[in-house]
Amino acid sequence: MNRGVAVELDSYRLANYAAQIPCLICDRGNTLDAEVCRNCYAPMVLAHQAQSRQAAPLMIATLGPSAVGKTVYLGMLLDMLSRQPKELQMSARGGFSVTLQQNTLAALARCEFPSKTPSEPDRWNWVHCQLRSPRHRQPVELVMPDIAGEALFEEVDHPRSYQLIQAFLERCHGVMILIDGTKLQSGSLDEDYFAMKLLSHLSELGEEKNSSWGSRPMALIFSKADQCEMCFEDPAGYAKRHAPGLWRVCQQRYRKHRFFASGVAGACVTRHVQGEGTKSVPLRIEPRGIIEPFEWLVENVVG
Amino acid sequence: MHSVEPQFWMSADAIPLAMVLGTVLGKVPGWVGGLLNSNSAAAEVSPKQDPATVMESADAQPEGPTDEPTAELAEAEAAELAESSGNAMSLVDEMLSRGRYALLLRPQLITNLSPDQLARARSSLSEGMCLVPAGEVALRRVATFTDEVEEPGLSDEAPMWVDGYYLDRFQVTNAQYSQFVRHGGYEQMAIWDPEVLPAVLDFVDQTGHPGPRFWRDGRFPRGADHHPVVGVCWYEAAAYARWVGKRLPTDAEWVKAASWPVAIVGHPLMQRRYPWGEAVDRTRANLWGSGPETTAPVDSFPGGVSVGGVQQMIGNVWEWTVDPLAIDDDEDNEYEQPPCQELKSLRGGAYDTYLDCQATNHFQSGDNALARKHNVGFRCAISLCDFEMFEGCGEAAATDSDQEANEEAES
Repeated sequence: MNRGVAVELDSYRLANYAAQIPCLICDRGNTLDAEVCRNCYAPMVLAHQAQSRQAAPLMIATLGPSAVGKTVYLGMLLDMLSRQPKELQMSARGGFSVTLQQNTLAALARCEFPSKTPSEPDRWNWVHCQLRSPRHRQPVELVMPDIAGEALFEEVDHPRSYQLIQAFLERCHGVMILIDGTKLQSGSLDEDYFAMKLLSHLSELGEEKNSSWGSRPMALIFSKADQCEMCFEDPAGYAKRHAPGLWRVCQQRYRKHRFFASGVAGACVTRHVQGEGTKSVPLRIEPRGIIEPFEWLVENVVG
Repeated sequence: MHSVEPQFWMSADAIPLAMVLGTVLGKVPGWVGGLLNSNSAAAEVSPKQDPATVMESADAQPEGPTDEPTAELAEAEAAELAESSGNAMSLVDEMLSRGRYALLLRPQLITNLSPDQLARARSSLSEGMCLVPAGEVALRRVATFTDEVEEPGLSDEAPMWVDGYYLDRFQVTNAQYSQFVRHGGYEQMAIWDPEVLPAVLDFVDQTGHPGPRFWRDGRFPRGADHHPVVGVCWYEAAAYARWVGKRLPTDAEWVKAASWPVAIVGHPLMQRRYPWGEAVDRTRANLWGSGPETTAPVDSFPGGVSVGGVQQMIGNVWEWTVDPLAIDDDEDNEYEQPPCQELKSLRGGAYDTYLDCQATNHFQSGDNALARKHNVGFRCAISLCDFEMFEGCGEAAATDSDQEANEEAES
């Protein structure tokens, strides 16, 4: 004789799957155990962490062409903010947020620059951290990705080719644009053109969403300024002299912008590695002008 | 990483006695013994000398680095002294007041000095410089640019022999360098390397006056007189060194003074990772995050003193050495220097040095010889053999003051 057995139905598990969790960057729904967003490939851990907080995190983009020094700048910035005993301090939310600074500093300690960020969005490093400052009552949540320069170049030339970049740029509150100061000094106009293209791209994004980029703060940073020290003395003057197109676009379209100069290596030499081509070798690490642009940007975003 | 037990290092109390004994036995040059016994500053020098190596250096032939332009300068000064014998006293006093005591102690000039002047010159020497004994030192290889596997003794590079020499206790200060600027150092072409003569006119400050890059109107920033001079290129450093009768230290000399190697038979050469020991201690040096974020007075951070009494080998400003940046590579990769630039070696780290592994005795950096950076200064050296050359001729003049000093020491 059969006897009925009551088996508990774990329906709450199904409910978890039924309830879609929106991606923090593109808002598309994802299942509970998704590691990256199925639409834009942003890590879903950002969405999970954001759910536990009331306020939406601040988003800041670091943009620039390939090999301009975005990874080095971000890694150095995060490391300095997490080590310095000054006003602005940073604490990572989750181990993944430390990876970028760890990889960057490990490479610099070997007197190497970190390897190029891959173009695939699911392989980018993301930082989710809390910023503390005596000027702000509450700690500020911050999300920053290390966007690959080649992917950005592709997105600027062919809009919507990278959902993640487009979604993030539409949402982000401020931007740091890196421009290679040494290339400008040598007379190359590529940097000027790329920056102009990027600014035009941003202004178009703002119009689509009815949230103008013209009022969002924008820090324009001349990287590798340790190799062209006149950048440090007068960054705006340097822009006017060496990147006239960029300077003019900024004056016309962007109300909150400021030029900065930064450098991480004190001096560099070039190494020809067999089978790998030419590599730049930093002879020592002495960061200059790393925190100032970020500090200015946060002040302008948070108020 | 090997650790150095404290007992391996010679007791500081035991060394002065050994030095006095060495002097009595005649194994240390007489005037060096006089230096060690003649004043309190000398007592600062002697406690940390290794008597055995000092004796070796005294016996060694003068094979160390020599500086021919300095010798020529000394001859020129000697001629000037001879011509103006009536004003010799004032000239010597002027040179002493300008910190050019090492030039006065050169064989070409020393015979013109009175015993009093000689004693003062020697006193200045012992106050301003440390004696680093002869011995072996292992330079860190630059192959991997890391400091991890390049421990002395483990490197496949054979230790180098370094003859005894004097090294400035402190980095050259703005006040010292201003003597050079005010008294025409930038106009004395004889003390400049010939290849850089066309560029000397370009070595100007913010207002176009000859001098370090960050000065104004030929003057250093207010209140920075005891800060290390910065904004000087390698050639300016070398010219100043010649002007005061010294030279820039070699890489090996710099590392030896900082790491103070100890050679025990059957053991690898033991060298300190930092002047104060094996562990990083940011309270002992002006580095990123531990100091005022700019240069500090050269006598600050006294806890960072080396065994031999040299201050701030680590931190504050990078220091030029005379050698080129040595870059080699296990894999025969080629290194390309920036076009039209010669890279010179830098040692010691600076106030903005971020990584601990780059603020060690063995880490080598480099920069363009013409670079005038905000965090690069220098200190000077002089070979012991340069003084030994005049031991014979200076002995007579020195006898009186030495005897007086010895009597004072005994009393």
